[in-house]
Amino acid sequence: MSAVLEIGDVSVEAGEIVALLGGNGAGKTTLLETVLGFHPGRVALFGRDVSGLTVEQRVQAGVGYVPEGRRVFAGLTVQENLEAASSLPARQRRERVAEMLALFPMLGERPEARAWLLSGGQQQMLALARALMDRPRLLLLDEPTLGLAPVVVVDLLKRLTAMATDGTAILLAEQRAALALAVAGRGVVLSRGRVVRRGSAAELAADSALADLMAGA
Amino acid sequence: MAYALVALGFVLALNAAGAVNFAHGDLVVLGGAAAVFIGAWLGLPSILLLPIVALAIGIVGIVAARVAILPLANRPPEATFVATIALAAIIEQSLTIAMAGAPRTAPSLAGSGSFEIAGLVVGRQPLAIVVVGALLVAAVWFLLEHTQIGRRMRAVAADRHMARAVGIPVARYVVLSLALSGALAGIAGFLLGHQFLVAPTQGAGHMLKAYIAVALGGWGSVPGALLGALGIGIFETFVSAGFGDAWASAALYIAVLAVLALRPQGLFGEPVGRRA
Repeated sequence: MSAVLEIGDVSVEAGEIVALLGGNGAGKTTLLETVLGFHPGRVALFGRDVSGLTVEQRVQAGVGYVPEGRRVFAGLTVQENLEAASSLPARQRRERVAEMLALFPMLGERPEARAWLLSGGQQQMLALARALMDRPRLLLLDEPTLGLAPVVVVDLLKRLTAMATDGTAILLAEQRAALALAVAGRGVVLSRGRVVRRGSAAELAADSALADLMAGA
Repeated sequence: MAYALVALGFVLALNAAGAVNFAHGDLVVLGGAAAVFIGAWLGLPSILLLPIVALAIGIVGIVAARVAILPLANRPPEATFVATIALAAIIEQSLTIAMAGAPRTAPSLAGSGSFEIAGLVVGRQPLAIVVVGALLVAAVWFLLEHTQIGRRMRAVAADRHMARAVGIPVARYVVLSLALSGALAGIAGFLLGHQFLVAPTQGAGHMLKAYIAVALGGWGSVPGALLGALGIGIFETFVSAGFGDAWASAALYIAVLAVLALRPQGLFGEPVGRRA
């Protein structure tokens, strides 16, 4: 199976969830933004070197991004957030919005609500739906469970598992290792920008040194 | 209504650039000057001259984006302030030379004279300003609220970094916003240039009015800027009619200070951290 993403010591294959673990300042966000093209670095996507491509070109190649803190477009409605993030032709875009609103019922109930009026959980679902608009083959998520109610976290993780089953490659950056390893097949631990441990989710979950590694000890 | 066009262009540039375009007032003056010079050169009727002026100042807006805004996108906002102040000075000095320091009158859009509606005497030019202004405001509102271009312009204004992260070509939308902002400034300059003459030093006054309109309406708010501008126009008209122009200006600034003291975020609130 060929890797969907290769950056340094980190790779993700189609249909796989890889947990990117590390504490504050470990370099998780920088790594995700390097994949997107915000920072320089050698990155291979879908089997080819994309280091020379712009952010927009990488997104169009099939990368979706859910940032830390959701960062939905606050003054735009739910529907507008979804449409603005899509490069599909008008008719397909509207059909895709309808699909997203059906897939995320909590958004479907309020398509005309301004994003700043939504709860944290609803905003997180909107950020995820926005990233899925153009059917990305690689999904990057940065601390998606942060600040969410447990029931919303469970719903979110179920959705990620379903997406991976459908073939999407997912790189899931999390400080909450147990949550990420519960849905991931493999994990990578970052500390000060370097990979300090890697292994299957089961191996990492059983690793008694994991907490110390994530704290940068 | 012409103030509304000035303020609308100002807020579009502000939201796209993430910083104040201090050359905006001079783009208004440039619009008036373009109407004077291109009108004299081509001899076209005003209704045909209007889109030519809009196009010309729209192109100047693109130059402003390419020269003074986009190259400084990753620098602190102060860099954009200084660059746009420099651009304003270049426009003002160039106009001073071109106009030999003498104010000119832009062509009238609808001819001179007036007519009566239900006992009210209505000037043709003021009515034309209201009609053109209202049509343009409605067109910009439609663009922003009901088209993909408008949604993406608003997304860029809301969060430029995130807009890039979802694949929006941000630089292209900044240029487009500055072109639209310039076109609106040019049309406003054309409309104002017949009633109030065109003088190279008027830029700072237009800039101040736009700044006040946006501060009153709520920093970054498009409807707020429009209402702020209309409020300024109505306030000045009534105070001026009762006490004269000098008192109207003084009363306006006192009223602005009072409103901002009572409601610092403006009438329609403002996104945090955007004031500059």
